[in-house]
Amino acid sequence: MTKNLLKNAFIVLGLALCTSTAAHALVFYPNPKTPEIDPSLAIGSLTLLAGALAVLRVRRKK
Amino acid sequence: MRDFILPSHLLGRLYFLFALVVLEYVFCFVGRGAIPGHLKFYGMNTDTYGQIPIFAYLVFLGFGHLRLKAQQGEIPFGRVLFASHLLCLAAVFYLTMEAQEGLGGLFPDTSGYAKSVIYLLGTFLLALACIPLRNWIGAIRATGLLWLYASLAGVAGWFFGTSVKFLWNATSTVLNGTLQRSALHAVSTILGFFLPDVVTDPATFTVGTPRYLITIAGGCSGIEGLGLVLIFTSLWLWFYRKEIRFPRALLLIPCALGCIWLLNIIRLATLILIANAGGFEVAQTGFHAQAGWIAFIVIALAFSMATQKLSWVRKLPASVSPSAGDSRSGTMQMLGGASEQAGELHGESPAIRAYLIPFLAILAASFVSKAASGYFEWLYPLRFFAAAIALIYFWPELKKLNWRFGWFGPVTGVAVFLVWIAPSWWAHQSAASPLGTALAALSPAARWTWISFRVAAACLTVPIAEELAFRGYLARRFISREFDQVSFTGLTTLSIALSSLAFGLMHGQHWMAGTLAGLAFAAALRWRGRMGDAVAAHALSNLLLAAWVLRFGDWAQW
Repeated sequence: MTKNLLKNAFIVLGLALCTSTAAHALVFYPNPKTPEIDPSLAIGSLTLLAGALAVLRVRRKK
Repeated sequence: MRDFILPSHLLGRLYFLFALVVLEYVFCFVGRGAIPGHLKFYGMNTDTYGQIPIFAYLVFLGFGHLRLKAQQGEIPFGRVLFASHLLCLAAVFYLTMEAQEGLGGLFPDTSGYAKSVIYLLGTFLLALACIPLRNWIGAIRATGLLWLYASLAGVAGWFFGTSVKFLWNATSTVLNGTLQRSALHAVSTILGFFLPDVVTDPATFTVGTPRYLITIAGGCSGIEGLGLVLIFTSLWLWFYRKEIRFPRALLLIPCALGCIWLLNIIRLATLILIANAGGFEVAQTGFHAQAGWIAFIVIALAFSMATQKLSWVRKLPASVSPSAGDSRSGTMQMLGGASEQAGELHGESPAIRAYLIPFLAILAASFVSKAASGYFEWLYPLRFFAAAIALIYFWPELKKLNWRFGWFGPVTGVAVFLVWIAPSWWAHQSAASPLGTALAALSPAARWTWISFRVAAACLTVPIAEELAFRGYLARRFISREFDQVSFTGLTTLSIALSSLAFGLMHGQHWMAGTLAGLAFAAALRWRGRMGDAVAAHALSNLLLAAWVLRFGDWAQW
């Protein structure tokens, strides 16, 4: 029980740290002049990524 | 087939409540400064401390998922409470607008504290409308001390998150300066392998050649890619936590971060090499904009594959396989603990490949062709060939669909075309576009070759690929995971609306016309349940649009 709780707490803290700081980083640089990640391409890029991930998660045929 | 209905059980209501609060916040307040600046209590504002309840709530939902799911009793929806909530929301919105725009209305001097009280009261009413008090108590009883752990996790997440935020601050020299400096030296080193005269100025973070110099700003130092990868990897590990071994899987996060940082260095070095070779326009427009996203997509896909394929990270079937008398086996099976089992239970239908890959091929080809182009996408034919090859490859599966069409398809296509060009026609002028100028600069042979491929793609490959993706897959996927078992005539209002909105959003500035077009194409598909009707409508509207563009020079439509 304690081990499980510690494990979950560790995961939660790790993920919290990641998402919190990353979200702050993106908010902090909302619109740079020449962005590394161009916001105008976000929809196409995320669609491509989501579609590719969906295809990769396809069930194996028995 | 089912239409959208309010979740009637506890877990669904909890998710519904969270989604509603987020949606209301985003649509009503973000960008207007209503809540973030005014929701203050004793010096606390939502920018900082709002993370605590949000994170605690998500932890409560995540870790209490199974126990909350077991609460199967029907829950009533408090309509009166919901109406009261909307009144509170409207009051806060009105008071904020009144204060911001100096309307001098009924309550011009209402303080931020008063508005905060009204907003929190409204949120409280919404929570009770979605889930009555007795069900809240039941949820807390069913999950034991989880509410306490979730609260502590919320505080801990806020504490650790806040503690490291300064690292991302542009005015701080701790990380940002380090990132810029390390990027500068790494780019300089890579360039040194290819060029003899590399110029580097650490004081201004400038690097390049005498012919082309760039300044590595904070936003270009790799920080955006690192942020995106952090978000993606965190969400991925959380979402598939039952299929992954912890804590070792967390080691993949720094690996992914290292890779995205390295790819950004390569991006910057390549940018300088392209420009130094004379391709200023390609470097500054196409490549610069596309390469960052390409790098992120590559890393994200590699990360997801690593979590699925690396036996060191994924849970092996043997380690969680159900055995007789093992009380955990049922739970593990239900959770999809073993990746093989999870694949069987939670994976997408194999039919997805034939429906999605042609469209994904177009998207991927567009990234490559734009990255190699300046203002004019001279490699556009690549999109045509990518889609054509994918369609030919999957044709044995796709030919099972009904590709015939009746009168309704073409009529729909004409209607969509008229809606699409209505703004230009109404304004009696064509929007300016550099495409016409770029085409005019080409030789006649090159110009007509490019136009031929553009028209062929618009009338053949794009309609088929997009109809397969948005109507054939997405609209039916909103109804069932086994989307290929859903009849086209069984598309629901909600599934058509959502897939059409997604289709519209793919069309950038034409998103509204795109959404209407998506609705029309879905109607054509649903009419007789034939894919041919939707494709005919889409192809004809694109053909007419191509004729319009070529006849009147309205290049902005392309």
